[in-house]
Formats: sequence, C-alpha cells, structure tokens
Amino acid sequence: MIRWLVLAAAALVALVAAVAVGPARFPLVDVWRAVLGDGEPTTVAIVRDLRAPRALLAFCVGGSLAVTGASLQALVRNPLADPYLLGLSGGAGVGAVAAIALRLGGVWGVPIAATVGALVAIAVVYRLAVVTGSVLDTKVLLLGGVVVGAFAIAAMGAIMAVSPAPQVRNALLWILGSFSGSSWQAVVLFGAYAVLPLGALYSLSRPLDLLSLGEDPARFLGADVERLKRVLYFGASLLTAAAVSVSGIIGFVGLVVPHAVRIVWGHIHHALLPAAFVLGGTLMVVADGLARTAFAPVELPVGVVTALIGVPVFVLLVRRWQG
Amino acid sequence: MRWSPKAAGLIAAALLACGPGDSTGRTSGGAVDDVGRPIRLTAPPARIVSLSPATTELLFTLGAGHRVVGRTRWCQDPPAARDVPSVGDGLAPNVEAILARRPDLVAFYRSAANAAAIERLESAGVATVTLALDRLADLVRVTRLLGRVLGDSLRADSLIEGLEVALAAPATARAGQAPRVLLLAWDNPPIVIGGGSFLSEIVSLAGGHNVFDELDRPSATVSIETIAARDPDVVLVAAGTETASLATRPEWRVVRAIRERRFAVVQGSEFEHPSFRASAAVRQLARVLEGWRR
Repeated sequence: MIRWLVLAAAALVALVAAVAVGPARFPLVDVWRAVLGDGEPTTVAIVRDLRAPRALLAFCVGGSLAVTGASLQALVRNPLADPYLLGLSGGAGVGAVAAIALRLGGVWGVPIAATVGALVAIAVVYRLAVVTGSVLDTKVLLLGGVVVGAFAIAAMGAIMAVSPAPQVRNALLWILGSFSGSSWQAVVLFGAYAVLPLGALYSLSRPLDLLSLGEDPARFLGADVERLKRVLYFGASLLTAAAVSVSGIIGFVGLVVPHAVRIVWGHIHHALLPAAFVLGGTLMVVADGLARTAFAPVELPVGVVTALIGVPVFVLLVRRWQG
Repeated sequence: MRWSPKAAGLIAAALLACGPGDSTGRTSGGAVDDVGRPIRLTAPPARIVSLSPATTELLFTLGAGHRVVGRTRWCQDPPAARDVPSVGDGLAPNVEAILARRPDLVAFYRSAANAAAIERLESAGVATVTLALDRLADLVRVTRLLGRVLGDSLRADSLIEGLEVALAAPATARAGQAPRVLLLAWDNPPIVIGGGSFLSEIVSLAGGHNVFDELDRPSATVSIETIAARDPDVVLVAAGTETASLATRPEWRVVRAIRERRFAVVQGSEFEHPSFRASAAVRQLARVLEGWRR
C-alpha cells in the first residue's frame, strides 16, 4: 500500500511541478492565478494552454510506453524488448524523413507520415511472423522487427543523402522526441485513442502472467495463446504508433520502467501494468520538465533526459533490491 | 541604413584582430586558418575544392571562380558555381571524390565532422583551410585571409571597404521602436536563429532586434513557451514556409505574433549564408520590417 501511495504522490508532485515551472519564470502566485484563469493573458495562455496539456500528454505517453514495454517483454519473453523493438521506430523515421524530403505540406505532414510509416512497419513485421495459418512465431517477430528496423534506417539514410531539401535533417530532431507539439487537442485525441489498447492490455493481465511461463505451459493452463499474442502485438504496436505521432521516438522509458516496476511490485501483471503506467508517466513528466528548463532557453531532446535520469535511478533500484 | 552598435563593434573587433591588410600580393606564407592550422601553400592555389556554400560564393566574388574545381551539392551561388562539378556533401565529405578533382587547396567549414577528412587530405599532401564563416564579422576576416591565400589582397580589401560602406550608409530616420523579431527556422521542434548567425546581424542592420540575439550559436531548439514569453512583434520566415497552417495550431496560437499572423517573409539565397549580398538582404528586410514598426 505504501508503495502505491509513494508512487501516486510522486506522480502528483511531478505534474504540479511541470505546470508551475518552465523556461519562462513566473512567481508561483501568478501561476496559481493563471490556473484559475486570472492575470496577464500571456501568462494564462502559457500555463493553461502550453504547460498543462504538455504535462498531461507527457504523462500519458510515458505511461503508454511503459505499459507497451512490459507487455512486449512478456510477449517475446525477452528483457531487452521495448516499444520500438518491432521495427516501429524505423518505419516512423522513414515516414518523417520522406514527408520533409517530398515537401508534404503543413504542420501535420511529419506526424501523419511518421504514423503511416510505423503502421506499414507493423504490418510487414506481422506478415513476416505469421507462419502456417495464423500462428504468430515470436522469435520471427523479434527478428522481423530488427531487420525491418535496420532496413528502414538504411532507407532513411539514403533519402537524407540524396534529398535536395536541406531541411531533411530536421526530421532527425523530430524523431529524437519532443513534446513541443502538445495541445489540449493532442491530449484529447491521444487519450481517446489510447484508452482502448491500454484497456485491452490490462484485461490480458492474467493471460500475460501465464505467457511469461512459456507458450506451452500457458496453453496447458487454459490460455488462448494465439489470440493473446495477436491482441498483444497489435495493442502494443498501435499504442506506440500513436505515441510516435504526438512526440516522436522517446527511448528508455519503455525498456527500463517495466524492469524497475518488477523489482518493486513483482511479476504479476495485474499490479505491474498500472504501476508501470504511473511510473512511466512520472518519469516522462520529470524528464520533459528538465528538458525544458535545465538549459533554458535552449530545450534538450526529451529522450536524452529520460536516459540521463532513468539509468542512475535504475542502477540504484537494482543495487538496493539486491542488497 | 544605420549600424547597430553591436554589429559595428564586432566588425571593428574583427578588423583590429586581423591587423593591416597584406596587399603586396605575396602567397600565404605564415597564414593560419580559423582552427590555427598553418596553410601549407608555396604558391597561390590553382585548383580549389570549396566545401561550403558561403566559401564557394566568396571565392567567386573574389574573382577566383575559375580556380574552383569542386563544390558541394548545396553550393548554388553564384549561378556560375553550378557548372563546377559537385563532390557531394560538405560535412564529413567524400575524400575520394575530392582527391579526384586533384585540388591543391580544400576549403572546409569548421565542424568536428570534418576533422578526419582534413587529416586524410593533409597526409595526402593537399593543403586545407578551415573557415568559421557564420557571421558578417567572420566574412570580413575570412575575406582578408582568402585574399592573402589567393595572392589578391587588394581586391579583398576593396570588397571589404565596399561592404562597410554599403552597411554603414547614413540611416534614414526611422520612426518608432525597433520591431522585436523572431527568426523561425523550423516549427516542430521549434528551431530559432540565434545571435551566432549572420541573420541576427542582418535583422539589427535592417532596424529590428532578434528576440534570441543573446544565444551565441547560429540556431537552437527552444520551447514555444519561451517564444510566447518573449512576445515578438513579428515572425520572420523564409518564403515557402506554411505560415497559414502554423497559425492554426493551438500550441502556436499562444504566441501573439503567430495568432495575429504577423509574418514577415523574405526570399533569396542571400538569407541562406553570409555573403557580400548582405547589403541587399538588409535592404529587402528593412523594407519588410518597415510595415511592422510600432
């Protein structure tokens, strides 16, 4: 119980701090008045229309990535699995680079093209991994993800090398991840979309426990393993594709948060998945806050910060629980 | 036109640092480049590969276009430069493609990505010169250096004088305060032009003020929040930027100048790299900014 209270308190503190602090420095009194819709219009707009949706979006994306990572680690029974393992980051990258190289118009061009790229990668990897009928081979899934990702990164390099648009390198910055595109619109869209895959993954908590024992034991214990694998794969992939569309590719959270949560909460997915969501969200909010403020006015790529603060925290956790 | 105190001071400092020009027409004996490396030439170079658009244009301006035997694929100015064979990219360039042009001098842009290529060319016996050409003050210094290397310091000196005269021409009286300008290079993540770029100097010379002038790098990723808090009067973008769709994004509409569609659009490659066309850039921008004075 104490673990849950500490986690909830950390999440709350992180969210409040993310709204209170930013590169534009306001006294806390002004921030509070701005939250209530009172005060100088720019301050109100910064607090209510930039900081608040950005903090919430970072929380939802971080949480979704952590849940996805935990589910995929159970699906392929490999501790190195993360949300981008299955070729998704490469597919998204090709989409983003192609959009800029082909000058596909508008501010939506890059996110939409990246999502399409990710969906294509998901489909190709799935097709590779379906052997004889409808059996999904998780080893082939893993390998397929790695080779499709490698192919996509090569394609990205090729487009960048020959494109006549000098801006194409900016696609790399977008891919590195940022929450600068956050708005209430993005929060609502992502939230509405993420509820279904998140709910599906959570409802599979019990079969996921069985699957971690191995496919055959899970089958003997009554799980519909093939259906489970398909739902897991598509739920996790579509959730990650949505995360990519709003924030690019932010590594590390989906890889390490599930392990950190297992150290503290154990391996039962019924507790693991919600705890991973809250911890992943909290870590992302803290990382984005540091990205915005540490070297203000210059902003760091948020993926750099997730790794810089996540690795030491993880090392501490591992040492603590070993001792 | 009038000088902004800061740009004038920087150019004056650059002039002092370079000392009196060497107009005796000697070669580059004893000259060092912008990373402190001596330029190993015994005679003026006859075959030059230029690896940055600014340097390529400068070589043509210095009357050495016929000596340029290689350029990057980004070097499009002046139009005559397009007839020179391309060796590909200018950062981490293809050393074999450069050597195939049999150059006696290769001009690099200063970047860590070029260190390996410089070493390989030097060890192959090809002289290199590395130039940090980001600002107008750099343009003065680099022009002087290249004039000396090419053995035509007289021409370099007269070009520099011409630029100074063009930029320092008497100011027409300007009413109202200098508009505060956001130079927006990219929207997601937001990339702005900082004081380390010649564009910031162009804005000052045209009677405006870059709201990110204090950043000493050419460009930087910043938060929309920072832009909103600095509340620029006008957003300067290159022609072709999708300003209409930018003004519909909810997160960008927090910035007053974008919500009110206060966009100033400039066109032309004189805004892409520092060159002696800077005075034309200043004139164009001054006209554009005139509409946004308060």
